[in-house]
Amino acid sequence: MKSLLSLLIKGKKLRHPWPTRLLHWSYAPAVLAGILSGFYITRPSRVHGFTNMDSARKTHFIAQYVLISSYLARVYYAYSAKNYREIIPDLKDIVRMPEFLKYQLFLTSKKPKFPKYNPGQKIVYTSFALLIPVQIVTGLGLYVTKRFQKPATLAGGLNPLRKLHYLASVSISALAAGHIYFALTDSLKKLKSIFTGYK
Amino acid sequence: MQGKTNHKLLEQLIPRLLKPRAGESRPPVIWLGTNTCAGDMLSLLNSLDPGYRSLLTDLIDFRYNYLLGTAEGDMATGILDETMAELPGEYILVVEGTIPTRSNGLYCVIGRRNGEPLTALQAVRELGASARYVVAAGTCAAFGGPYAAAPNPSDSKSVQAVLERRVINVPGCPVLPDWLMGTLAHLIRYGEPELDDLNRPKLFYGETIHNLCQRRHYFDNSIFAKKPGDPWCMYKIGCKGPVTFADCPYRQWNSEHLSWPVKANTPCIGCVSPEFPDGDMPFFEHLPDVKLPGIRTTADRIGTITGVITALGISGHMIGSIVTNRLPHTLKKGFSGNGMLQKLLKKLR
Ligand code: HEM
Ligand code: HEM
Ligand code: SF4
Repeated sequence: MKSLLSLLIKGKKLRHPWPTRLLHWSYAPAVLAGILSGFYITRPSRVHGFTNMDSARKTHFIAQYVLISSYLARVYYAYSAKNYREIIPDLKDIVRMPEFLKYQLFLTSKKPKFPKYNPGQKIVYTSFALLIPVQIVTGLGLYVTKRFQKPATLAGGLNPLRKLHYLASVSISALAAGHIYFALTDSLKKLKSIFTGYK
Repeated sequence: MQGKTNHKLLEQLIPRLLKPRAGESRPPVIWLGTNTCAGDMLSLLNSLDPGYRSLLTDLIDFRYNYLLGTAEGDMATGILDETMAELPGEYILVVEGTIPTRSNGLYCVIGRRNGEPLTALQAVRELGASARYVVAAGTCAAFGGPYAAAPNPSDSKSVQAVLERRVINVPGCPVLPDWLMGTLAHLIRYGEPELDDLNRPKLFYGETIHNLCQRRHYFDNSIFAKKPGDPWCMYKIGCKGPVTFADCPYRQWNSEHLSWPVKANTPCIGCVSPEFPDGDMPFFEHLPDVKLPGIRTTADRIGTITGVITALGISGHMIGSIVTNRLPHTLKKGFSGNGMLQKLLKKLR
């Protein structure tokens, strides 16, 4: 099967195996839907693409199930396929950070090469991996308010929990905007690879 | 029509529920006022059905009440000692207000004993130890509330924070008369009511205001009040109904169950929540303020600033990429002869 595939797409390197792609296109729309409906919930206005609270909340709640399941699946996959090493920044990334920043700040035209992801990508993906659980935990506290009364007091109550959920969404939105910008402009081959798997 | 019958039924039931049954006596109650505005006692006096008189004659035996007691000085304080010595495990202790803990509690002295000041801290600890039940009346006693708000110079705490045993919390700023009257009646006639995770009786604090609100359909359809006084959903002007557990929407206030904040066209301020008021201010904003070292700002502003920085960063980088010819190069390379798209197009042709 594998050889058949590589025969079909000759000379192409597999960059994203199917689970990564499948899961990316599960959590990415869920996060985007969560951002849009979430910002409508915090400040209802047609700017966010919804006309009423009912539809925004339904969207948010459907997105949350997709996000929770795809996140858990991605963590399991990262663990079983050991590809979390590609995502979590290591010592080498810190050492090569200045080189990377120099290029991104247009101080040199030499584009540094990295094994898979550059340090910027790694930081963004790791931040997603840390912020989404914050979103899930605070979101569940707001969703199942009665069941999680006790844990909500750890955050100081439901009002501070709401604030935490909001502040985490602001961070996720900023990171997602940056990620999408770089995904669309850094390399079209890499962009293609998140759809087809091959660069 | 149905409401009318229900009302009649209640009229018949309440006296039966309250009247002591044969062989039952009215349990002694001690009501301490610590650091408080007296709002909860005043609120209770507004109870209509049953009223204060019925409370005294049918339900409880008021041994001590900081506001309405006629005894003064040693005579008043003596009753506390007497009750503790003679009726341990029988009396109900109700505390209204926070307990200051700084300087051994000297910031609230409720009387003198043997010439020494008797602090609220001491009184609550001693009386609490041998009471049958301890009830915290109002948000200050239950969770700290306004009297423990920042900067809290007297280091005031809730009743639960100074007692080892379970305290039944009946918060509200002030407490709704029914909540307290109902809790007392339940304790006396049926024992401890079912409590939630914050030790509030589920009978009164079991559902969010938002889920009981008469204006919920305005919320679902996004018909919002723009200012206090508008007759729509108060969400956009800071209504804390979605994160507040209480039955105000159907029980309502003013003794005759006439009205409640949203019905009076003003948002719920979440007064029964443990974080009230520091953790849910400003009352007319949707989200509480963000406190960073040295700065206090609205959550909205943090969102706006982050949005602006992100937009500036991305557009700056994009301009850089265009000026240095990086972006045009990337795009050209992507769509050039060895690009996938090109190949696909060729194949299609
Ligand atoms: C990346 C993902 C997410 C983003 C960006 C996001 C964003 C937001 C925002 C901005 C709000 C408005 C908060 C407010 O002002 O009160 C909100 C509300 C909420 N979110 Fe999320 N959220 C996300 C994921 C989740 C998840 C995973 C859950 C559940 C497990 C969840 C549950 C909720 C609930 C219950 C509310 C309150 C809705 C209401 O008031 O009716 N969210 N979200
Ligand atoms: C329409 C929007 C999006 C596009 C076009 C997009 C595009 C891409 C591309 C091209 C890659 C591969 C980068 C490479 O191979 O170097 C990638 C990876 C990734 N993206 Fe997105 N993305 C989008 C939205 C999102 C969102 C909203 C999230 C938020 C959680 C996200 C999270 C990730 C993660 C975690 C990876 C690493 C994948 C892995 O190794 O498993 N993406 N994305
Ligand atoms: S007025 Fe308040 S409690 Fe009522 S529906 Fe609106 S947000 Fe909810």
